[in-house]
Amino acid sequence: MTKRMFNKTSKCRFCRMGVGEVDYKDTQNLPKLTTSQGKLFSRKRSGNCARHQRSVKVSIKRARFMALLPYVA
Amino acid sequence: MYEGLFLLDNAHASMEWDNVVKHIHDILQKNGAEILKTEKWGEKKLAYKIKGHKRGTYLLIHFHAKNSAITTIKRDLQLSDYVIRSLIVKDDKIEELSQAVPAEGTAEKTVGAVPATAEKDLVKESDVSLKTADTV
Repeated sequence: MTKRMFNKTSKCRFCRMGVGEVDYKDTQNLPKLTTSQGKLFSRKRSGNCARHQRSVKVSIKRARFMALLPYVA
Repeated sequence: MYEGLFLLDNAHASMEWDNVVKHIHDILQKNGAEILKTEKWGEKKLAYKIKGHKRGTYLLIHFHAKNSAITTIKRDLQLSDYVIRSLIVKDDKIEELSQAVPAEGTAEKTVGAVPATAEKDLVKESDVSLKTADTV
């Protein structure tokens, strides 16, 4: 019976910016989603929604492959 | 619509940049690709050593190509002496560029530093498997 509240301000930074897919070339912002060791942050930690977390995961792995980000820091 | 990021050997890239770009264009065109946009991303320190290289120059090329041509393009790039590593991903948003850029694809843009990718530049990529034949 309770009316479902729609939360307009999303926690996910990419949803707020209106980004569809995360770009692997974004060397400015991608490191913010990894620990100082270069490991990926969990969704709990980064606040990403499921869709963007998947996108971030792929982007970071691509960036690692192209030596834009470290595998191990 | 594909987007290729190529990591080039600095030794060649600093000396004969035009040659190296032409070499990569030739590889793409030989396999029937139509180059839309070429962008020099600049020289960067690599996050880890690759084949003894600590630094490298990045080159970003947007191109049209047949799906079947990608395999041969990748193989040719691996055989190239200039290319340390390459990544080709599908890109849906390049359609708009194709009208603005001459067909020759010689619109060279030299960027001093690595551009901070603005939010609006974030491209939408379809799922491309991360599997590549390159080994670390």
